[in-house]
Amino acid sequence: MIVKGFLKDVGGASRVTNARRETYATASPLPDPKDPIRALADALHPGKQEFKVTKITDASPTSKTFRLEPLNGHVPVFQSGQYINFYLEIGTSKLTRAYSLASAPFEARLPQPFVEITIRRNVSYFVPDYFFDQVKEGTVLTAAMPFGNFYYEPLRDSKNIVALAGGSGITPFVSLAKEIAAGKLDVNLTILYGSVNHKDIVCGEQLAEAEKAAASLAAGGGSSASAGSGYGSVRVIHVMSDDPEWDGEKGFVTKELIEKYSAPDSTYMFCGPWPMYNFVTKALKELNVPARRFRHDVMQQPSKATNIPGFPEDQVGKVYKLTVVRGIQEDVVDARADEPVAVALERSAIAIDTHCRGGECGFCRSKLLAGDLFISPLGDGRRAEDKEQDYFHACSAYPMSDCKVKIPIM
Amino acid sequence: MAFYKDHYEVVIIGGALAGLSCALQLQAKGIRDILILEKHNLPGGLATSYVRDGIEIEATLHEMMSIGTKEDRLKVGVFFDEMGVDIDWLRVPEAYRFVETSKGIDITLHSGFETMSKEIDAQYPGWGPKVLEFMNLCNTVYNSMNILSVTPMSKVQMLMKHPEFVKTAGYTATEVMETYHFPQDIVDILSPYWIYVGNPLKTLPFTIYAFLMADYFRGGSYVCKNLSHEMSMKLQQKAEENGAQMEYCQEVDKILVKNGKVTGVRTRRGDEIHCDYVVSGAYPNKVYTQMIEPLSEVPEGAIKSVNARKLSVCPVSVMMVLEGTPEEIGIKDYNIFSGTTMDTEEIWENYQTQGPYDYLTSICLNLANPGCCPEGYTQFSITALPLAEPFLNVKEEDYLSLKRKLASDMIDHYEKVSGIKIRDRIAEIEVSTPMTIAHYVGAWKGSIYGYRHHINDHAVARLQMKEEDHFIDGLEFAGAFSISGNGMGPAVTNGRAAAKAIFEDKEKKEAAVK
Repeated sequence: MIVKGFLKDVGGASRVTNARRETYATASPLPDPKDPIRALADALHPGKQEFKVTKITDASPTSKTFRLEPLNGHVPVFQSGQYINFYLEIGTSKLTRAYSLASAPFEARLPQPFVEITIRRNVSYFVPDYFFDQVKEGTVLTAAMPFGNFYYEPLRDSKNIVALAGGSGITPFVSLAKEIAAGKLDVNLTILYGSVNHKDIVCGEQLAEAEKAAASLAAGGGSSASAGSGYGSVRVIHVMSDDPEWDGEKGFVTKELIEKYSAPDSTYMFCGPWPMYNFVTKALKELNVPARRFRHDVMQQPSKATNIPGFPEDQVGKVYKLTVVRGIQEDVVDARADEPVAVALERSAIAIDTHCRGGECGFCRSKLLAGDLFISPLGDGRRAEDKEQDYFHACSAYPMSDCKVKIPIM
Repeated sequence: MAFYKDHYEVVIIGGALAGLSCALQLQAKGIRDILILEKHNLPGGLATSYVRDGIEIEATLHEMMSIGTKEDRLKVGVFFDEMGVDIDWLRVPEAYRFVETSKGIDITLHSGFETMSKEIDAQYPGWGPKVLEFMNLCNTVYNSMNILSVTPMSKVQMLMKHPEFVKTAGYTATEVMETYHFPQDIVDILSPYWIYVGNPLKTLPFTIYAFLMADYFRGGSYVCKNLSHEMSMKLQQKAEENGAQMEYCQEVDKILVKNGKVTGVRTRRGDEIHCDYVVSGAYPNKVYTQMIEPLSEVPEGAIKSVNARKLSVCPVSVMMVLEGTPEEIGIKDYNIFSGTTMDTEEIWENYQTQGPYDYLTSICLNLANPGCCPEGYTQFSITALPLAEPFLNVKEEDYLSLKRKLASDMIDHYEKVSGIKIRDRIAEIEVSTPMTIAHYVGAWKGSIYGYRHHINDHAVARLQMKEEDHFIDGLEFAGAFSISGNGMGPAVTNGRAAAKAIFEDKEKKEAAVK
């Protein structure tokens, strides 16, 4: 094959090599270390940073809202429904805990940016106790954000959102309601919020304020020019399961209630405890809601292992030896059969980067080298090949024998 | 507490395909004291997947090249077989469907030189034999490339044994194609794969174009049953079985150099690990401007080399799970390349903007891998491959809306070209951008394709200049920025080449001692 002539053709390799040398010769000798794309990626996902607690307020008789301001002045952009993950050292334990952000995304873009979380402590529990008893205004906490996929996605979701919330599961929707009420997000949000008693309502005032502000915005309050256009709405319906004094909706968040308050083709977003999840998913199925119209927040594993379907009852209370491999280091710790591997590690102050604690997100992905684990079928987010090669998510795997595992070095 | 030994023979930065292949190749040659440090908590870099609501979604792999059938294994397939890496490959049904709306071209080609030339002949009668002749030239160059990339020979030998390779080496894809006097429609039909090497045809070396065409049309292409994560995991598994230590969540911050020689690395955690060789999966741009410690050890030539070379494209990808089977949705093709034009210069211009992008590739994974979704769902993605430039000034506050605009435009484009409605079926959607890539794998400016396969940065010239491109003793590179360039197949080859360089260097040094 001849393209231009034999000599020109056979000299091609030398020609292109000379051309390449020429680009080297004429290139700038000055280093250019700037990578704005990585810089933006790092701004969006800065990893661990320090936050100072600047305000603690009551969100109900049993819950508190903690305002956190970043020491470096920057809060990454997040979306309502996403969470922040805390890195804590409590007593001799080293642990991570995730909380939904209850503040609105726009509040993280204010000149003095902040985020808020709301924690309920209706019974004594390790981490809530820490926040209630140890964390004061001025305390500095280490945390990373944002994480999670539980947010309104306009490319996928209906503009009509029905939030189904139970107990402290209201917090992501508080964030969403506030964002809508500030005119930053144009969706119609109806919250069906189940509590036992009106005294248990978490963030009730903030929800009421958001409802009012959204209504006044839509009515053109302040800026009549844009009245009624581009603004969403917020409606909150409280549902009390055990409150004789309550004159609103009573009972559970049933099929009938959902139907009564839903616009056609709504997207349903759920955040609440497991029993309520089972209840509402059944209701939505009966209402023929397509699967793509149902979103749910990550569901933490039930605190009692025996509430996990298939968990072997006879393992309750057993304690096994867990050999933990990190690089060439090996440690042996005790691990209860009825607690996830992640908890055994936390108790032994071996850092493991859990996030969702429901098996889904995979941050605590680890490898089983020997022994048997029970993997919770709830929220099992393992990849197919990971299952074949004995990788597991430490937040949702329970030792059923002495085990040897390899975890990432933190 | 010590997580590492004091010293390793080789530290590999990045447990992606290149790094893992490098480890396997080193082990095959008896070098087994290896530490692999991976930034993420998964192996494979871009060859990965993620799970949304129980459905595992492929992150990047469209079509794995260089595998071949069991009977006609190609280079990467042979290597995996030899290494005992047994991947469950599923064959992609067609090469591509190509739709060019401005000219009304709509054709589907399958692999096999005879087959595809007949398919073209059916629409452009009489041109089949000429297309076949052209594909045979591509194949000859391809075979030579595979030999010459591992077996150095003199110019005279090369001209004797590989005349087609030698004679076409100095020309662009366009220049060689022009000698066949194909009608423009056929040129367009033979062009879609250009984007897999990320450079317009007028400045793309024919060698690279020929490699691509011959490889895909000869061997077909493949995906893994357990998605590309399977490939990454099986490479890691084998490397670990052979004795390598691999640690996740360890980003290497610094490469330590003293008197022109690598002495070790330091991780973000602060671990300082000593070694004889470092194989960097981080871009040379980053290594020479940020990572070498002290930076005074970086020769001026190294800076000039990275400044001389231009980055290729980075992906914007919309990955979806759709409600409905492909049949219910109306999707019939695994892979469609589509646009209003096939003028690669024009597309290149368009790729220097924030869209809407005109030249897209869409993949329906179910049609190669029916088990990739639960019953009643379809895994579907649309990808554009713009340059990094339009994203250099994006503000944090604008990022989410930009991402959604890019995705929305791409969905619109697909719906318009295909006449298939997908928007109301979206059950899951994720959009990846250069920023996503930068976040997960740390690639320089989010570029996954390394440096452009430009005629002025020709793979043949890279090969000739191997010595000149080597700046620090003990430091090798393995990634899309290496000689063979981008793609998962070449990633494996790049990793192996780095291993070979270490092996040869070690032999040379041992010989000098004796």
